[in-house]
Amino acid sequence: MNEVAIGTEGLTKTYANIHAVGGISLTVPRGAIYGFLGRNGAGKTTTIKMLLGLTRPTAGAAHVLGMDIAAERMAILRRTAFVSEKKTLYPSLTPSELVRFSRGFYPTWSDSAVEKYARLLEIPMKQRFEKLSNGNQTKVWLLLALSQGADLLILDEPTTALDPVSVDQLLHVLTEDGLDRGCTIFFSSHQLEEVERIAEYTGVIEQGKLLMESRLDDIKSEFRLITAAGNALPTQISSQVLSVMAEGNFYRYVVTKNAESFAAGLSQNGATVTNIVPLSLREIFLQLVRKEQ
Amino acid sequence: MYFWKCWRDTRSFFIVFLIIAAIVMPVAAVVCLGTHLVADFGTSAFSATFGLILMAVALGLGAIGAIHEFAENTAHFLFTKPRSRSYFVWAGWAVGFAELLAVATVNFLAGWLTLSRYSKNPFHSALFGSITVHTLLDPLLFCLWAYCLTYSLTVLLRNGLKGLGASMGILFGLPLFAVAIRWRWHIKLPFPPEPIGGLPVVMSSIIWILVAMLFVLAAQLFVEWTEI
Repeated sequence: MNEVAIGTEGLTKTYANIHAVGGISLTVPRGAIYGFLGRNGAGKTTTIKMLLGLTRPTAGAAHVLGMDIAAERMAILRRTAFVSEKKTLYPSLTPSELVRFSRGFYPTWSDSAVEKYARLLEIPMKQRFEKLSNGNQTKVWLLLALSQGADLLILDEPTTALDPVSVDQLLHVLTEDGLDRGCTIFFSSHQLEEVERIAEYTGVIEQGKLLMESRLDDIKSEFRLITAAGNALPTQISSQVLSVMAEGNFYRYVVTKNAESFAAGLSQNGATVTNIVPLSLREIFLQLVRKEQ
Repeated sequence: MYFWKCWRDTRSFFIVFLIIAAIVMPVAAVVCLGTHLVADFGTSAFSATFGLILMAVALGLGAIGAIHEFAENTAHFLFTKPRSRSYFVWAGWAVGFAELLAVATVNFLAGWLTLSRYSKNPFHSALFGSITVHTLLDPLLFCLWAYCLTYSLTVLLRNGLKGLGASMGILFGLPLFAVAIRWRWHIKLPFPPEPIGGLPVVMSSIIWILVAMLFVLAAQLFVEWTEI
């Protein structure tokens, strides 16, 4: 698991004077499910577009499946399946025709997977794409991605427009089938429950900056919210302190490890530690995003 | 795969025009049975319909051939396939070009067979005189030019209707522009398939073909450079 499926270093994308992505450094281990969290406009889609060569980075470097995105784009695309945020496809083609169109591009394509997922996701294969419901259009994208036999699935908000039953089916398929094949799954979302349910790793992006990257198990076992009262308590961010919010004499710290020793340090500085509580992913996300605002 | 997709997108239009190209002269001949119209003016009618049908096909295929591929919402699907962007531009162009040639060939063969059957001299009419290689190649060259221009503008504007509109604007506007230049500055601007300056016809034709190819090359460079 120490091999890296996606690695970025200072990946940056600037449009005129706007930093869409401001130097993010991600590490997605091979074979993992990675939830890329962020609000609308946080920079998730731009990051994904850079990984797939749809947009050129302004600065920084990235490797996908050990290959440089600038130099080996075709080789990356052969082994990567993608579901776009915009679920539009050719309106006059049926899902069967889209399968026929996509099949020839990929040597690892599986027709048995097409049959399986078409049945499982209940996709009307003979109906024109433009006549399908939004949910079924999303499912067609997923069908094409899952049948490709890819080593890496990059899914940009894959559950958009899906009903709860379909979301459940999809998450089941991703965890069972994807991981069985040793496939890495990198999916962006702002649905925290979905990420919490299936992801092993998560990264939080806001205003183009990666605010946090961690294993979900570490979040559950190590991350703590410490509430303290005192005068001029420390407000520096470090590897241990993920965020600090100060309101008058009240301070709220999100710490990533050794919460007890950190609280003891605050007490030695004259602070009264009022609470140390574990955090859910939702609470961490809200803490991080609020701090940025 | 991608060639099949291009064929799938254009086949209805192509088949309709292939049928028109195949039957227009035989139908005209049957309708005119008992008159001398086909015998006297058949060749002229053939020349006129040849250019007209090819022009409609060139404009139509130019706009349909890239109607969805490079549009805002579907380009990310195509451009995440493991093929170069130039492949998609030229594959789409090649399918349309092959269809244009097929319609031209069928129309020529149907016209020639009909005139051979009903006309005293299939290569000569009272109206325009003899059919020469030029009377066939000139409309073909102009239609190739129109096809490449329409296809390129459709790719550049990422929309079939906009591409068609812009292309028709240029094709209708350019002769007017040339007339205005000639009237104001007494400079004669060549317009395809006219000979360029004092160059031989073959050389001029080659230059016009290269100009048409340059349109597609420009579209390719735009697609390669553009960010989705």
